[in-house]
Amino acid sequence: MVSSLRGLGLFALLLAGSAYARDGGVDVRDATAGEQSPIDGGLLGVDGGPDLVSGGPDLVDGGPDTEHAVAPPPVAQAASAPTQASDVVVTASRPLSRDRSQSSTVIVGERMRQSTRTTLFEVLSQEAADVYVPGRGVGLHGVASGATGGIKIRGLGGSPNSQILVVEDGVPDYQGIFGHPIPDAYVPSLVEDALIVKGGDSTLYGSNAMGGVVVIRSRWPDQDGYEVENDAGYGSYSTLRESVSFLGRANAWDVAGAFTDMTTQGHRAGAGGSGMVGSAALRYRWTPSLCLALRNKVVHVQGGDPGPVSTPTPDHWFDVWRDTVSAQLNYRRDKLRLSATPYLNLGVHRLYDGFYSHDYVGGAIGELDLRLHRAASVLVGLAVQGIDGRVEDRAAGERSDVSALGDVAFYGQATLRPLPTLNVVLGSRALASSEYGFVPLYKAGARWDAGRGFFVHGRVARNFRQPTIRERYLPYPVANPDLKPEYATNTDAGVGYLSAHLEIAATVYRNDARDLIKYFGAWPAAEVVNIDHIAIRGVEGRVRLRRLGPVSAMVSAAWQEVGRYTRQNPDAKIDFMVEGAHEFGPHFLAANLTGEWVHGLYMADYERQGIPDVFVMDLAARYRYRKGASGQRLHALEPYILLRNFLDRRYAYVSGYTMPGFNVFVGLKLGI
Amino acid sequence: MSLPPSLRRAPTLVALALASLSGCDLAYPEVVVVNRTADTMLLRNPSFSGCIWPVVLANGDATSPGRCLPGDDRVHFKRLNAETYCQDEAQDRTLPGVCPCDGGVAPELDAGDVDADVNTQPMWFNYQTVSSKHVGYGGFYLFEITLDDMEQDFSIPGPYGH
Repeated sequence: MVSSLRGLGLFALLLAGSAYARDGGVDVRDATAGEQSPIDGGLLGVDGGPDLVSGGPDLVDGGPDTEHAVAPPPVAQAASAPTQASDVVVTASRPLSRDRSQSSTVIVGERMRQSTRTTLFEVLSQEAADVYVPGRGVGLHGVASGATGGIKIRGLGGSPNSQILVVEDGVPDYQGIFGHPIPDAYVPSLVEDALIVKGGDSTLYGSNAMGGVVVIRSRWPDQDGYEVENDAGYGSYSTLRESVSFLGRANAWDVAGAFTDMTTQGHRAGAGGSGMVGSAALRYRWTPSLCLALRNKVVHVQGGDPGPVSTPTPDHWFDVWRDTVSAQLNYRRDKLRLSATPYLNLGVHRLYDGFYSHDYVGGAIGELDLRLHRAASVLVGLAVQGIDGRVEDRAAGERSDVSALGDVAFYGQATLRPLPTLNVVLGSRALASSEYGFVPLYKAGARWDAGRGFFVHGRVARNFRQPTIRERYLPYPVANPDLKPEYATNTDAGVGYLSAHLEIAATVYRNDARDLIKYFGAWPAAEVVNIDHIAIRGVEGRVRLRRLGPVSAMVSAAWQEVGRYTRQNPDAKIDFMVEGAHEFGPHFLAANLTGEWVHGLYMADYERQGIPDVFVMDLAARYRYRKGASGQRLHALEPYILLRNFLDRRYAYVSGYTMPGFNVFVGLKLGI
Repeated sequence: MSLPPSLRRAPTLVALALASLSGCDLAYPEVVVVNRTADTMLLRNPSFSGCIWPVVLANGDATSPGRCLPGDDRVHFKRLNAETYCQDEAQDRTLPGVCPCDGGVAPELDAGDVDADVNTQPMWFNYQTVSSKHVGYGGFYLFEITLDDMEQDFSIPGPYGH
């Protein structure tokens, strides 16, 4: 069936099929100033806009997922919006951030869909210099040995990738056995926006939210009607990608679905594979205040570990199926929001060496968000979670004994506004673990909007991660059932300035981690143990210029001192972007240049096995023709070309896993 | 009937566009590895810059051309010295019959005479060329493995994973 769908994708490409109904130019609330500001910023009228470190007030309510405001018509309006209105009602999503004092970056979905980077995690890395994501090829990170895609945020996370929590539509998303997300399980087809919380937030999100949190929110239709978007493309190394998404609203029903299939032969033997992600969501609104949403997402990733270029291993294949199902009941009135979210995440993993596992993560989260006063709101929640699995070595006929993990947590957060320009956030979580007993967590932060666009923020948070089933029980390469949980106290402080055309921000941070779990040695003499204490210090800053005529630009830079544990934890990173866009009548032309420089990469701790700096630049160009038809409906045709690594540089994030040279991808979007 | 001028270049442009898409890997350098060591020397699974040939090369044998990544690398391979192997096995008396090592005939053995702890499996050791080779787009390269350009390879990295 998958292959036939791939065939359909190629057919769609040949027929120049693509649909593009929704433009990026969404008016977003400038949460810092509490005003409406049309932000388009950049390529194709879309901007990460809310890179605005603001998150937006928890004190602002709208519909179940949206808030409404009257604003001037944006440059590019939603597909079915009236095109000749002097004042139109636009719908903007509620801010993803629930803590205004935290340091964060928001990336809108349209920007992800237009990126030259091949996976969603790599797109996040391109947008923020204090986020590091290694890659190894075109479009697949893989699992097990040779996998990349581990996220490091401000020195924590990475390998293993369990110190960064991914939360997708309110559901924590990670594997039960290995405790980390599948990097290839995320595609931007239906993503509304994503929030990177830097410095973690275990108070709100629980275990694993230690170094950071990636919060992903999917799109819902915001008005009656439907929109279909098809994006099909073909590129170097026989890479074929087909993505189709559908949004529809009729009466009280909303539906959203997306299917993405990517297959590639890879840039060298063993680097090929395929990834399929299908998601479907259905929402019923009894009243404007009460709704129930059901979601299901299926992921199938096949590929292999190509091994180092000097000693390839083209037969080291993997095959992963995962399915996540969740429901979310939301009730919202003027000063009250209630939600209940049960979820279940299942997975089956097979590896070339006989490894076979089933795992599940199941739980439920209930939250109450209440505005007590104009200057005070509280959020309280109850979360229950269980993790278990079964692991076999089919080649040896052995089964590993594992014990399930479970926890119950009660958490709360108070947001106080003693002054109109000052937000104070206090929170704590009481977590009771089946293995580790009572775990107290806390955070405290503040943000002061000093006026005229200047702001100051600071926060301290105590975060936590419990050992994974793999670390405790599985001999891959070694296990230790006596491991203790990891803790980190993350502190940051920052200043910034934000206006319609300019954003400047800088943050200093320090992460004090205790009992970090580290692997040492190699099989059969390997060990996994808790290490005592490490401190990571760093600074991150960015400058963004928006809409200076047709040009926008961004530079983000980070430097950090990671101490002894330097494995895949770079000293410095710079990401940059320059883009130009011009619209004339129904035509739209845009191009952008992006680049990344990574310095101080090592393959081992204690600054051993250093590898050369990474420097890579990509180019993208796209043209769009939009035409209104039958009154309000828009059709759009959008061919694009991506020139990756156009300087044809030899570089690698992981020693021996040389990245592709210059390569090309062309595609076509069609929107109805 | 001739094509209108605006369409005359279309086939060329289409060919260029297709070549730019598929050509990155088609333009990879072609590499052949040849065993030029000794009659008793076998090389197995030679690899170079993203290519690996799952073959055993006797002296004089060559791999098929493989498209490898442009860049620098050494040729890596596993080596078995059949002469040494034969001598060791004869010494352990696991090879009844002709032993070419000492020019004579080894005594016939009963199965029970062989020490059960003796490993009769041939040991392939990791080797690499001493010299580093460079390959670029569009080229054809023939690399000969010789006895004076090889050294034991202790650099085989462990698996990287997260």
